[in-house]
Amino acid sequence: MSFLEANGVRCHVQRLGPPEGTPVRGTVLLIHGMLTDSLASYYFTLGPTLAAAGHDVIMYDLRGHGRSARPASGYQLEHFLDDAEALLDGLGVDGPVHLLGNSFGATLAFGLALRRPAQVASLVCLESMPATATWVTQIDDVLQRSLAGLPNEEAITLIEASHGAHTARMARRAARMLSTTSLATELPQTEPLSAEDLRGVRCPVLAVYGSESAMVEQLDWLEQALPDCRSVVLQGQEHSVLIEATETLRLLALDWLDELEAVPVA
Amino acid sequence: MTTTQQAPTEQEVLTAIAGMLTEVLDEIGLDDVEITMETSFTEDLEIESIDLVTLAGALRAHWGDRVNVADFIAGMELDEIIELRVGSLVRYVTAQLA
Repeated sequence: MSFLEANGVRCHVQRLGPPEGTPVRGTVLLIHGMLTDSLASYYFTLGPTLAAAGHDVIMYDLRGHGRSARPASGYQLEHFLDDAEALLDGLGVDGPVHLLGNSFGATLAFGLALRRPAQVASLVCLESMPATATWVTQIDDVLQRSLAGLPNEEAITLIEASHGAHTARMARRAARMLSTTSLATELPQTEPLSAEDLRGVRCPVLAVYGSESAMVEQLDWLEQALPDCRSVVLQGQEHSVLIEATETLRLLALDWLDELEAVPVA
Repeated sequence: MTTTQQAPTEQEVLTAIAGMLTEVLDEIGLDDVEITMETSFTEDLEIESIDLVTLAGALRAHWGDRVNVADFIAGMELDEIIELRVGSLVRYVTAQLA
């Protein structure tokens, strides 16, 4: 396993590169979502595809997730952003970086684009939005409900019976995270972004939503709020587009990066 | 002096993978479980997908680039990954090294 000390937190990182002899086309940072997610959701989907296509792909576990350290506190968005910046610096990545974030990972990506406008070359946002006041309210609601409904062992047995062992394991994992860290109280304390702040996201943005998800409502607003944003709606998909529409996302991501990295023919 | 490396048998691969899994399980604090071809990663071992990433790294470190678990899993649906048994991985590795 590869670890890097980033911002005082032990960070689990996986980096995939193009095959030997293939020139590196660009660097891509893949950022996973919240609670039960980890870099595994990229390692087995987009990571290898983008690497095979010639990209330097960096995947990491957010603090509290996967095999990164889980401090008891430090879960405002700023902490995650400090980690991401420290990670890039620690890995010696000082050139342009394309970001691809899933759910909370995309919220983080927007923050990173604002912190490093010269470095972030583009941003793919899967089923998400930047940390506006609306987002803060929504995330607060989700986290408080999760905290209130923390399943005990009895409830997990019931979940297992009705939804299967896999869902029960996820529920147990989420419960453990919420009860051992201050995520649920800290993250909603994040200072929200204003409309003016959002106009500072100058890089090209591709926003991807599932037609059946709650997040798709954000589409029109996001296209208006950002200087350079286009969107794609995946028909019949809900929130978990990365897992449920993997092949579509592979093609979307490859085309997106191809378009951005297109070198004019001499 | 160079020696020709014999391609490992399924049994040899199973033994090696069982060893790696035991290390992964130790790290996440689970008791010793007997690992056979039928062992299910998620049901019997309660392995999370993140542990498969660790295992992938261990396999590559041991046998080199021909063993690419990400490639192996890339074609699978989530259901298949959840139901993955040690035997599938053993057969994949053995075939890659044949």
